[in-house]
Amino acid sequence: MSLPIDLETALATARASVANRLTPLPKDDVDLVETDALDSMGWVDALISIESATGIRDFGNPWPDDRPKSIQALAEMICEAQKPAPDIRSGECHRAGTQGESEILIGGWGCTLGSRTVNAEQIERDLALPLSKIRDGAGMESVRVAADGEDELALAQRAADNALEMAEVAVEQIDFVVATSTTFLGFPSFAASLHSRLLLRETSGALDVGGACTGLIYSFAVAKSLLRSRPQGVALVVAAEVHSRRLNAPQVPGEFRGLFGDGACAFVLTNAAIDARKGGVRLREFVWGCSGAYASSLGVKVSENAGLIVQFKGEQLAHAAVTEMNRIIGALESLSAKPRGEVDYFALHQPNPRVVEILADKARIPLERIPLVSKACGNLGSVTCGAGLCQALASLHESGDRSRIPLIFMAAVAPGLLWGGAFLN
Amino acid sequence: MRELILSDITEMGAGLCVIGIEPATENLFRSVRPIPPQGFGWDRSFPHQRGSAVCFESRPTSGSPPHTEDQNTHGLQASGTRLSEFELVDRLQRAEVSTDLEGLFACELRADSSGGNAWVDPGEASRSICGCLYRNVRFLVFQDPNRVTLRARLVLTSGETLNSLPVVDREWRCFMDEVMQRLAKSGGRFDLDRYLNRFIRHKLLQSLHAFARVGLTRPEQGNKCWLMLDSLFPQPDVSWLDIL
Repeated sequence: MSLPIDLETALATARASVANRLTPLPKDDVDLVETDALDSMGWVDALISIESATGIRDFGNPWPDDRPKSIQALAEMICEAQKPAPDIRSGECHRAGTQGESEILIGGWGCTLGSRTVNAEQIERDLALPLSKIRDGAGMESVRVAADGEDELALAQRAADNALEMAEVAVEQIDFVVATSTTFLGFPSFAASLHSRLLLRETSGALDVGGACTGLIYSFAVAKSLLRSRPQGVALVVAAEVHSRRLNAPQVPGEFRGLFGDGACAFVLTNAAIDARKGGVRLREFVWGCSGAYASSLGVKVSENAGLIVQFKGEQLAHAAVTEMNRIIGALESLSAKPRGEVDYFALHQPNPRVVEILADKARIPLERIPLVSKACGNLGSVTCGAGLCQALASLHESGDRSRIPLIFMAAVAPGLLWGGAFLN
Repeated sequence: MRELILSDITEMGAGLCVIGIEPATENLFRSVRPIPPQGFGWDRSFPHQRGSAVCFESRPTSGSPPHTEDQNTHGLQASGTRLSEFELVDRLQRAEVSTDLEGLFACELRADSSGGNAWVDPGEASRSICGCLYRNVRFLVFQDPNRVTLRARLVLTSGETLNSLPVVDREWRCFMDEVMQRLAKSGGRFDLDRYLNRFIRHKLLQSLHAFARVGLTRPEQGNKCWLMLDSLFPQPDVSWLDIL
């Protein structure tokens, strides 16, 4: 859509974007967030709505501190924007993986969640958050929390056992494990600890991959690359997070802590050529990158006294997540030569369900094609899109429909702002 | 008369080796290895079970390290009732225990080959039996001409691993004999590795008392005391054979 250039047109656009969430409309100069007319997610929704209507990339992100969050200010911001930024779909993405090379199959999968279910109201009480902050503000009904005795390794072990069982692969067959966890700190590393925990043979490798919420997609990319040089090889890819303990610190804001759940997922990757008897979904190609402009929207550091320092700009982060993931989906359309309308499932990172709903609306994706993991489980970090992928694969498996090859898009963003995507079919 | 609760009954050559626990200090227990009047091993017809209470008159003993738990006896007599497996493991967790490898026998463990069983120098070890919680277990089966032998790999709570531990636990050995008989009758319909490392392993890891007792052999040539799996809890259940 062309860019509106006069203030009246801009005001009309701004009013329409706010009217989606708020009727009757307040006066143009009323600060919508300050007066609680909109909550922070409602404000992000309005910004994204304007972005969709005008084509202005990253509209209002970040929002200047010295400006009110009013309709008038939105209109002025529209007028100030000069031109839309180039779209990632035009080919600016980096691609990994090459068509025609060895095909890597997901032969088995498993997902384990923390054993305890904590509902939204309990979280709000425990963290002294405003009523409905989690249920209505973030759209979460509950989160899954690790019970006593459950840690990253215990959850990962159960997920891996399930994946190996499904793939009919013995641990002795695993050539390497590629593992990611943001919450597992220290050495031996997560991959090394997991290697011992699973009793893998001593000559199988163990590799840690970073990337926080993008960690699983990056781990897939690494495992696929490693399997290329080992045609008979078997890889185990694992993600596990126990946020409930890592974020359980007084310095961590409650509205941040309250969003996270605990879980693990695991996938067995094999070369499709040696596993031709099995059906399944193949890992195809990847996109990734890093948008430093959003680097300050989320930061987690360990302080000198071993506490956590969290920098969290919720609105900016939500906006960036929606914008970037929509762009990743566009890039995956280009790579796969398939429009998003033909995608069976979107296994996406989910900061919270409200962000997913906004993304679905903006990206024109039917919500039912996104396994909404975060609604009942919380944001599982690197495990989120893995849990979504497990749900998607299970649905496809249960449907028993072998008449067509399913198509799955994965997309995730992480602090930095790292981003990554993959398509599977 | 001293009273013991039998905790470990293991196969040792043609006979059995037996260990029990007795109260040490308040709420704590220590292991005692009753030695029969003749030789080291008890007869295969040993009538008592794990968890059974037995009493004995002690005789002068000159046990040499690391088998400091040895106690000569005139024989064992049944006394009192039998503890459940849960009660027994609860007490064993209040006897000699370690979360890591070095703490098992208070000395360094050595191995001659990667993935092979470990041994200790008898001059370094200060005891010959210790319990540990385990986080994972896998089995290896060796088909000897006369009898299948079972070895286990364990992950301790420290994350360290014990490899290729010979399973000498009497109940597990008997269970394996039954498994092999059933497999032979099944005409090869069942995969032994799958049965042990999926079905049985799942039962063990689901248990609330995933606990093992690791013992040491008597010093062998080369002055090595090899590790062995004296007891693996939960103990095998006859109902686990139903699947075969």
